[in-house]
Amino acid sequence: MTTASDTESAATVAPPGGPDADGAERDLRHRKVRAAMAAEGLDAVIAYGPGWRRENVRYFTDARITGSSSMVLFPASGEVSAFSTRRGDLPELAGTGWVDHAGVLDVWDPEPLIGRLRDLRPRRIGVAHLELLPAMLDAALRRAVPGAEIVSATRLLDGVRLVKSDWELARMRRSAAVCAAGWEAFVDVLEPGLPEFRIVAEVEARIKELGAEDNFMLIASGKDEVRGMTAPTPRVLEAGDMVRTELTPQMDGYWLQICRSAVVGRPDEGQRRSFALFDEAVAAGIASVRPGVTAHDVAKAQNDVFRAYGYGEYCTSRYTRVRGHGHGLHLDETPIIEGNETVLPENAVFIIHPNTYTPLAGYHVLGDPVRVTADGCEVLVATERKLFHSEKGAAA
Amino acid sequence: MKRGLVVLDEAEVPAGEWRERGDALRSRLVAEGVDVALVYGDVFASDDIAYLTNLCIYWNEGILAVPAGGEPVFLTKLSPRVHPWMRRVSTVERIESGRSFGALVTGLLDGMPHGTLGLVGAARWPAALVEEVAAALPGWRVTELPELVGERRAVVSGAELALLRQGGTVVGRAARDAAAAGLDARARTAVVERVVRGAGFLDVATRVAHAPDGVACVQVTGQYRTGWLHAARLADTDGPSWTGALREALDAALGAVGPGVTARHLTEAGGPALALLPAGSDAQVRWVNQADLATDGEYRHRAADEPMAEGSVVAVAVDVLFEAGGYAAVGETVLVTGDGAEVLTAASGEAVA
Repeated sequence: MTTASDTESAATVAPPGGPDADGAERDLRHRKVRAAMAAEGLDAVIAYGPGWRRENVRYFTDARITGSSSMVLFPASGEVSAFSTRRGDLPELAGTGWVDHAGVLDVWDPEPLIGRLRDLRPRRIGVAHLELLPAMLDAALRRAVPGAEIVSATRLLDGVRLVKSDWELARMRRSAAVCAAGWEAFVDVLEPGLPEFRIVAEVEARIKELGAEDNFMLIASGKDEVRGMTAPTPRVLEAGDMVRTELTPQMDGYWLQICRSAVVGRPDEGQRRSFALFDEAVAAGIASVRPGVTAHDVAKAQNDVFRAYGYGEYCTSRYTRVRGHGHGLHLDETPIIEGNETVLPENAVFIIHPNTYTPLAGYHVLGDPVRVTADGCEVLVATERKLFHSEKGAAA
Repeated sequence: MKRGLVVLDEAEVPAGEWRERGDALRSRLVAEGVDVALVYGDVFASDDIAYLTNLCIYWNEGILAVPAGGEPVFLTKLSPRVHPWMRRVSTVERIESGRSFGALVTGLLDGMPHGTLGLVGAARWPAALVEEVAAALPGWRVTELPELVGERRAVVSGAELALLRQGGTVVGRAARDAAAAGLDARARTAVVERVVRGAGFLDVATRVAHAPDGVACVQVTGQYRTGWLHAARLADTDGPSWTGALREALDAALGAVGPGVTARHLTEAGGPALALLPAGSDAQVRWVNQADLATDGEYRHRAADEPMAEGSVVAVAVDVLFEAGGYAAVGETVLVTGDGAEVLTAASGEAVA
C-alpha cells in the first residue's frame, strides 16, 4: 500500500494536461468507446446527461455543462456533436475542443441533434442513460430513426469509465487534495452552538476556493442516537457530539470522497471503541484490494470485522447501504456490497467506507478512497485515519 | 446540489396552506377523472414534490403518489433509515422504499379497484419509467397529465412571497459581493457559498463566465425553502463600453415587466441598448418563473410566447454570446405587480431599476 503525500498543494496548481495530453486522452477514449461499440454492434452512441447524471457527457466533452439536459452524439466513425439546453455552455463546449460541433438543445424540438443522427442512418443505437431519457426526447429519437434498434449503453459507458487513465488519475489526485482541505475546514469550525448548515457553508466555501466545481455532502451530529446522515439541519452542536460527514468534492469533473467523524470536545470511551472497530474494518477492506478483486470481496472483508466482534447485524440494509462505491466522473459508481461480483481491475478507483450504526456511538463514518495498483492499492487522501476532535468543545 | 438546510416551519408556511396545495391538486384530479396522480422528481429538479410536501430529494429519484381522495405517499429508492428525517421535514406521513418504482406503485395500489393513474408532467418523465409503471399496473389506465402542479406554482402565495423577499436580499448581496473587483472565479464562488448557504439556503449554483475582454459575470441561482431566486452581475468592468449597454438593456426589460408581458416584449424593450454590443454578438432577453429556475425554464414549451402573470416571481436576464467566444449575463428576480416590477434581488444600497 502506498499513501498520498503533500497533496494539499496539488489542489492549487493547474489541472494536468495541456493540448497534447488532452488530445491523447480524448483519442484514447474514442478508441475505448469504439471498441466497446464494435463488440455490441452499435453504429452510434448517444450520451444523455440529465442534470444529476452528466458523467458520460463529460467523458466525451471534458466540458463543465450546466444545462438541465445535455447530449453527445458519438458515431462509430465521423464527427462528434454535443448539445446542451443552456446556451451559456456553448463557449465551454467549444473551448475544450473535444467535439466537432456544439449546439443548443431544445428538448421540444431537438432537430439539430436528430438531423445529424438521421444522416448517420444507424441501424443500432446505444443510449447511455436511456433509463433517464425524458419522454419527449425519447419520442424525438424514435421518430428520427424509426427503423433503428435503440438499446441502453449505460453499462457500456460504465465499463469504459471503470479503469482510469494516468490523465484521469492526475485529476483525481487534485480531488483528493480538496477532500483533505475540506475535512480540515470541517474540523476547524466545530464548536458548541454552531448549526449543522453553517458547517456545510464553511466547507463549501473552502473547497470552492480551491476550485471544486461541486460537492456532495451528508452530515449528522449528535450522540449514539444518530442512525444515519442527511442534508444538514438547524441542529446546533453540543459538547460531546460526534459529527459525521461524507464529503465529496468534484474537481475538473472528477468526484472523490472522504469519510470521517469528529467529536466536539474529548471523545468518550464508546466513541473511541467505535472508531477502533471502524478503523479495523477499513484496514481490512484496504488489505483485500488487489487487481481482480470483486466488489463483493472488498465488502465482505469489511463486514467480517463487524461479524467477528458481534456487530454483524449492523452490516444489513436495516442499518446501512454499501461498504463503499466507485468514483470517477460520477460520484456513486459501482457499489461495494456483498453480492456485487463486479471485478475491480488495476486503476479502478473507489472508496472503502463501512459506515453504519452500532450501539457503541451511533452512526459512524470512516473511509478512504483508493486506487487499485499492481500489487494492492494506493490510498488517495493524505488525511490521517483517526477520531478527530475539536478542542473548542473540550473547553465548553 | 441540494445539500443545504431543509426545514419545515409552520411560522413560515402554515399547515393550512400545505393542505390547500394538496386539495387543489386533488380537485383537479377529480375534475380530470384521475384516481391517483404520480409526481416525479430527481435530485436536480423535484420542486413540484417540494411544493406539495416540503420533501427534499437530496439524492436519486422519487415519486409522490397523490390519490384523488387520500393523503400523498412518497415512493423512494432511498433507505428506510432516512424516513424519520423525511417525516420531520415534510408533511408526508407515509413513505415507502424499494428498489423499483414499478414494484412500489404496484404495492401502493394493491387492493384498489382498477382506475386511472395520471402522470403529472409526463413529457418530462423518463420514458423507461413510464413504461415500467404502466407495465406494473395491468388493468389500470395510465394517462399523461399536464403540469398540474407547476401551473399552481406559477403565482406565489403571501407566505411564499415573504420567503422570496428574504431570499432575494441574500442572493442580491451575494451577487454584489462576489462581483467585487479583483477576485478570481474561485473566490467569487466561495463568497456566494458562504453568504447564501450560510443564510440557510437549500441549494445554490454559481457560474462565473468571462467575456473575451476579461469582464467577468457572476450568476447566482439559489433555492430558499421551496422558492428560487437568481441574480447576475458583471465584474471587472473598467474599460469596455458594452457592459453599460448590457445593464441598460436589463433595466429596460425590467421596466417593461408587467402582467401579460412576454419575452418578445422584453426583447423589444432591451433591443436598442443591445444594438450597442460588439458586432457579431448574439444577445437575448428572457424571463423564467422562479418555479422553473431549477431547470432555468429549459423544459417550458413555447416559453417565448408565455405571458407573465400578476403575482408571479420571475427572473429576468439578458445574456450575450460574443463572436470572439465568451459569455456574459446580467439578471434580477422580480415580483410582477399590477403596474410593473418590484426587484427582489437588490442588495441593500444597490441601485436597480
